[in-house]
Amino acid sequence: MKNQLKTLREDRGWTQGALADRLGVSRQTVNALETGRYDPALPLAFRIARLFGQPIESIFTPPEEQDVAES
Amino acid sequence: MTNKLDSKDRSEGDREKSRAYQREFWPGILAYTVVLIGVLVWGDLDGNSPWRFLWAVLPVIPALWIVRAVLRHVRRIDDYQRLLLLQALGGGFAVAMIASVTLAFLEIAGLSVPGVGWIIYGAGMLGWIVSGAVVGRR
Repeated sequence: MKNQLKTLREDRGWTQGALADRLGVSRQTVNALETGRYDPALPLAFRIARLFGQPIESIFTPPEEQDVAES
Repeated sequence: MTNKLDSKDRSEGDREKSRAYQREFWPGILAYTVVLIGVLVWGDLDGNSPWRFLWAVLPVIPALWIVRAVLRHVRRIDDYQRLLLLQALGGGFAVAMIASVTLAFLEIAGLSVPGVGWIIYGAGMLGWIVSGAVVGRR
């Protein structure tokens, strides 16, 4: 699943480690999220949404919507 | 700016979890090593004393401390790290099982391999380490 995490983080001038501390996860996890290797479970997705003050669906793009956007 | 933000340094939370793990893990390893040396020096494992069996299982006590440290670490880490750990453990388990079955067949075929338990232990640990390195790099 694609997401806007890296853009949102960089807009705020945070390192991956700083974001990891704010979310209570490891830097490795933030890196995996940003590169799309790991889709977060709901509790983490809500923490991310709350932290950036945006709804989950504006941060994460489900695969079917990616297909529509790309076609 | 972007380069600085792409820093691969561990977060403060990562460091704190790692410190907590080290604090609990290393005393266990130290105790295990001391008990192991004690068993090898005074245990008389290849002798005739009935106490040798008690000596042989004595390292289980500090080993349980290590297990406790690992389990507490698993509770501290996040879901993604648990997923990586599970994949690494799965790799180690598969290697240990394959080694175990292979050595069992060799034994049936008439080849007596000394220290079978140690070989399986070593294979499993090596499988865990290698799998951990592979899944961690993805």
